Amino acid sequence: MVGPGRQERSWIRGAQGGSASDLEALFKEHWPRAHRAAYLVVQDGAAAEDIAQEAFLSAIRNLDRFDRKRPFGPWLHRIVVNRAIDWARARSLRREISERPGSEDFDTGDLGTFSDGVAAGLASLSAEHRAVIVLRYLLEYTPAEIAELLDLPRGTVNSRLRRGLDRLETIMDRESA
Amino acid sequence: MSEDLRRALQRIHGPDELEAERRAWAMVRSSFEEREPLTWQQRNRRPLLLAAAVLVVLLLALISSPGRALVGSVHDAVTSDEAPPPKPALTALPAPGQLLVNSSTGPWIVQQDGSMRKLGPWWEASWSPNALHVAVTRAHRLAALTPDGTIRWSLARNRLLRGARWSLEPPAQCCRIAYLNGRELRVVAGDGTGDAPLRNVVGSTPPAWRPGSVRQLAFSTVDGRIELVDTDSTKTVWRTNPGEVPTQLVWSEDGERLLALSDRTLRAFDANGRKLWSIGLPVGPSGVVFVRKSHRFVLIRYSPATSRSDLVLYQAEADPGEARFLYSAPGDFGTLAISPNGEWLLVGWVNANQFLFLRLTSAKVEAVSNIVQQFGGKASAPLTSSFPKSVSWCCPASP
Repeated sequence: MVGPGRQERSWIRGAQGGSASDLEALFKEHWPRAHRAAYLVVQDGAAAEDIAQEAFLSAIRNLDRFDRKRPFGPWLHRIVVNRAIDWARARSLRREISERPGSEDFDTGDLGTFSDGVAAGLASLSAEHRAVIVLRYLLEYTPAEIAELLDLPRGTVNSRLRRGLDRLETIMDRESA
Repeated sequence: MSEDLRRALQRIHGPDELEAERRAWAMVRSSFEEREPLTWQQRNRRPLLLAAAVLVVLLLALISSPGRALVGSVHDAVTSDEAPPPKPALTALPAPGQLLVNSSTGPWIVQQDGSMRKLGPWWEASWSPNALHVAVTRAHRLAALTPDGTIRWSLARNRLLRGARWSLEPPAQCCRIAYLNGRELRVVAGDGTGDAPLRNVVGSTPPAWRPGSVRQLAFSTVDGRIELVDTDSTKTVWRTNPGEVPTQLVWSEDGERLLALSDRTLRAFDANGRKLWSIGLPVGPSGVVFVRKSHRFVLIRYSPATSRSDLVLYQAEADPGEARFLYSAPGDFGTLAISPNGEWLLVGWVNANQFLFLRLTSAKVEAVSNIVQQFGGKASAPLTSSFPKSVSWCCPASP
């Protein structure tokens, strides 16, 4: 994880000093990917919004203690993805007693069959596997960084990535056939 | 595959993405405007204090090694590693009343003779005054049930509903239910009518009705303040300073004390919202319950160093008093409930898959095992996720 850019350090410094416009710049920079990452892991729009919101509120509460030399993104993504995994686990337990499936259809717009296949494939994975796929391919962390973010051994991350990708390919092949 | 996957993930959108961003920014900004930025001195006070504290501890360790032994001997004198031999099934409760158990398979009611009834596929439930009804939630739906599971009414809202709590007024008056619709705090009459928002954006803590005071409700804000609101006028009665957002708000039976339990702190307030004290807590499972007709309370305190949980008695007065150890066991305690007659404390001992019943007036302990299985859970599931999340023991006699 590289350090934050000059621009981001300046936004954090400004927000720590009380500047709402700097906070807004920081929010706009990080919200879309944080929200999308949560959505891809939990597959529930309302829950993803809550999870990403709560992560930002946690950031506000701890803003004064935040070390400006550290990048903001990984810190935020650690909260988002871990909470998303916890939420998805809790839901899967509840679903044992639920009559209807809790997941929503992904909106892939008119992006073609590959995105549809990815959406279907992701839905078939466990939250833990979805999380490493999202961290690797949406948020673009290395396996070592993912291991640090999720507090997992590197080997576990690699095996989850491998199994997740294999599963995605299988599902997408089936979908396209 | 990798590059295609990267592109595909970036193209998948959540529902209502722009609206979600707008709502989130409104909330983040509102929380930001309420905070008070630290001065340079405040921001740097912690490292300076920490350095000073480390120095003092090192000096004390050099000149006073018997200090550690003293702490150890007090702890050893009042705790026990020996769990009582457990009964294999919950055949009876040791005191009158009924339990409402929120298990991983849904809520259950347990009668004093040990008979159990599952209320249905709901996620969370709480008693009405005198156990005449139960408020339940599942996903987007809130319902009021009779204890036999019959639905009296239900309503649905757009967000996930949880934290439904029935007001504590006498049954002759109409009661109300407060609940969370996502982060919106709403109140509905006990007959299901007049559902309306009370606050648009609040903290994640389940709200708590103040006993003995008609229609006053405590809830947390997103920056961890505790607010007491009059639900008739919707006006704020008092509001505390910010802090950690609590996981639990608990009133004493007389409504004169309020505890706000968070992951790292426990704060005690008086009836006017004045903070009596705040104590730090180690990271780990926790819980709190007031002793009946008293300002004393039992706290679950987990020790990461020893991986044990202690039950400790404090008081919600100007000074929390010296901690009194009641019981200790390896692993996690997950839930607490006091019997209606105030003589027994139910403790969920997660790692042992047991309910412990501790008699507060003597040293007696009774244990019941196989709790997960008795409430419909799978024996193979991890105990941390399958053990009942909360239990309430209804109902104390009116004060």
